[in-house]
Amino acid sequence: MLSITNLKVSIDEKAILNGLNLEIGAGEVHAVMGPNGSGKSTLAHVLAGRDGYRVTDGEVRYEGRDLLALETEARAHAGIFLGMQYPVELPGVNNMTFMRESLNSVRRARGEPELDAPAFLRRVREQAQLIGLDPALLKRSVNEGFSGGEKKRNEILQMAMLEPKLAILDETDSGLDIDALRVIAGGVNALRAADRSIIVITHYQRLLDYIAPDRVHVLAGGKIVRSGDRQLALELEQRGYGWIEEDAA
Amino acid sequence: MISEAQQSDWFLHHLSQSAGIMPGRGVAWLDALRSDARAAIARLTVLNRKQEAWRYTSVEPLLQQRFITAGTDIGAFRNLDIRPWILPGMDAFRLVFVNGRYLPRLSAVDDLPEGVTVGSLRTALSTDPGRLATWFEQQQGRSDNLFTALNSALINDGALIHIGRHVVLRKPLEIVYLSLDQERSLLVQPRNLVILEAGAEATLVERFVGSEKTTGFNNHVTGIQLSGGASLDHYRLQDESDRTFHLSSISLSQLELSRYRCTHLSFGGAWARTDCETLLKQPGAKCELNGLYTVGDGQLNDFHLRVRHMTPGCTSRERFKGILHGKGRAVFDGHIIVDKDAQQSDAQLRNDNLMLTRGAEVDTKPQLEIYADNVKCSHGTTVGEIDPAQIFYLRSRGIARTKALSMLSLGFAADISNEIKPEPLRGYVERRLLQKLGGEPDGDNLSEHHV
Repeated sequence: MLSITNLKVSIDEKAILNGLNLEIGAGEVHAVMGPNGSGKSTLAHVLAGRDGYRVTDGEVRYEGRDLLALETEARAHAGIFLGMQYPVELPGVNNMTFMRESLNSVRRARGEPELDAPAFLRRVREQAQLIGLDPALLKRSVNEGFSGGEKKRNEILQMAMLEPKLAILDETDSGLDIDALRVIAGGVNALRAADRSIIVITHYQRLLDYIAPDRVHVLAGGKIVRSGDRQLALELEQRGYGWIEEDAA
Repeated sequence: MISEAQQSDWFLHHLSQSAGIMPGRGVAWLDALRSDARAAIARLTVLNRKQEAWRYTSVEPLLQQRFITAGTDIGAFRNLDIRPWILPGMDAFRLVFVNGRYLPRLSAVDDLPEGVTVGSLRTALSTDPGRLATWFEQQQGRSDNLFTALNSALINDGALIHIGRHVVLRKPLEIVYLSLDQERSLLVQPRNLVILEAGAEATLVERFVGSEKTTGFNNHVTGIQLSGGASLDHYRLQDESDRTFHLSSISLSQLELSRYRCTHLSFGGAWARTDCETLLKQPGAKCELNGLYTVGDGQLNDFHLRVRHMTPGCTSRERFKGILHGKGRAVFDGHIIVDKDAQQSDAQLRNDNLMLTRGAEVDTKPQLEIYADNVKCSHGTTVGEIDPAQIFYLRSRGIARTKALSMLSLGFAADISNEIKPEPLRGYVERRLLQKLGGEPDGDNLSEHHV
C-alpha cells in the first residue's frame, strides 16, 4: 500500500526528516509515536501534499505510484486522507456544502456518479450519528466555533464519508476527554477494513487502548528508531521516550 | 490630464443636449430646481484629486468620454422580451426602465394596496407636480456636486414611490434599470424619490443590469425619506457591463425610530461609484448599510458613505466587504459624523477586503468625526489574503485549487450575502460571485433540503 524509503524533508533549510523508512500493507493499522518535534506532523503533511516542505531525498510509493509527484487534490482522489491535528476554520463555508463538494470531487475523479442532495444527506446524517456529531454542526460553517472534540469528530466524519484507502490521523486524540476518545476510536475501528490502511500518529499510548495497532513505530530525530507490536507502546507509556532517544544516539 | 476648461466644457456639453420634452415645464418650483442646478454647474468647483471626495478615484476616464443623452422615445422597446431580465421566482411589484425611460407595459404594479403610489416620476411631474413639491423641497440643501446638479438640471424620469401612513407592503417592490443600447454611449439620468410615511414598511430591490457591451454613463440620483417609525429594507444590485460608467448618489433622511437597512451589491462597471449620505435627524433612528463588491481587471469600484448623527440615541452600522482580483481597484470611504447634541450615538463601521491577487489595489479610509462626548463609536478596516492553510485543507479533501479559492471567497462574502432576504436575489448574487471569481455555479442547493 505505502512504501517510504529514505525520506528526507526540510523546512526552510532545517532538516526535519532524516532518512525515514516505513512499509505499510493493505488493511494494517500502524501507530507512529514519538516526542514533540520528532517530525510526526511533518510526515503526515508531506504524505498529504502540503506546501512549504522540501523533499531532498528518498521516495514514497503509494499503490506502486510516485505519491510525491501528485498534486494535493489528486492524492485525495487516489484515496489518501489526512485527519488534521488542528483543523482550520472556514468562515462562511457551509459544512455540508463543503463535504458534498469534497465527496463529489473525489467521486468524479474516480469516475463514479455524483451523489444527489437527498442521497448525500441520508449518508451524512447516518455517519454523523455514528460518530456522535451534533447534526446542527452540519449546517454551520466548517469548524467555526466548534469545540476541540467537535472538530475532531468532524474530521472522522469526513473520513467516513470519503472512505479513503490510506487514512493518516494526526494526533486525533489531542485535546479529547475520555468519552470523546472512545467515540472517535469507535468511529475509526468501524472503518477498519481489509483494503484500508490507517496510520495513527500520537504522542500518547492511551488512544491505542481503543485502536489496537498492528505495528508501533517510534519516530525520533527524523527517522524511525524502533518498531514493534503493541507491547512497544506500553513500554513507552511506562518509560517515556528518553531511553529510545538515548539508544538511537 | 484634463484641464479645468475641458471639464467645464464636458458638463456644458451634456447640459446642452436636448432630452426631448421636459415634463412639468412651466411649474415654478421645477423650473427653479432646473435653473438652480444649471447655475450650480457654472459655480461649483471642478473635480480634482486634491479634493478629499475624489482623492483615490479619478474622474478622468469618465470625462474623456462623450455621451449622448438618452431620448424619451420608448417605441423601440415596445416589444422587448423582459423575461431574460427577471429573476426566476421573484414575486414582486415591478417597475422597468429601459435606458432611463419607464416602460409601463413591462412593469407590474397592479394590485398595489391602497395608500401606495408607485410609478414614473415623469408622469407625476406632468400630472401632479404640486404633490411632489414638498418632497423635493426636503431634498434641498444637500451637498450637491457637479453630477447631482447635472441630473437635477435635466430631471426627466425615474421612479416615484410613496408608501402611505402605516401601510405595509407585503411583496418586495423591484425596480429594474436596463441599459440596452450597444451602439451609442448613452447618458442615462434617472431621478428617484422614495417616501415612506409614518409607520410604513417596505422592501425595495433595485437592479442595474444590461447587455454585455453597453458603454454608457448611468448617473442616478435617489432621495429617500423615512418618517417616524417607517422601515425600509433596501437592496441595490449594480451588475452592469464591465464597460459601463455608473454613479449613484443617494441621500437619505430618517426621522424618529425609523429603520433603514441597505445591502449594496456591486459587481459590474468599468467605473462605478456610490455616494450615500445619511442624515439621522431624530432620536432612535437606526441605519444599517451593508455592502459587497468585487472588482477585476479594468474595474474600479468606489463607495463613499457619510452618516451623520444629528440627534441623541441613533444607531448606525456599516459593514462592507470587497473581493479584489486581477488588477481590480476599489475605494472605500466611510465617514461618520456625530454632532455635538447627538449623545448616546452608537456608530460602528467595518470594511474588510480580500485580495486574491497581488495586482489588485484597495484604498480604504474610515473617518470618525465626533463632537459629542458620550458616544459609542468604532471603526476598523482590514486588507487580507486567503490563508494557505485553508486552501490546503480543501485540497486535501479533493477539491481543486480554483474551486477552493472560490468557495473561500464566497465564504468571506457569506455574512453579507446570507442576509439577503429575497431568495431569488440571494441565489443570483452567489452565482454571479462564483462566475466573477472564475468558479462554476453549484447545482442544486443543499439549503433547500432539511437535515
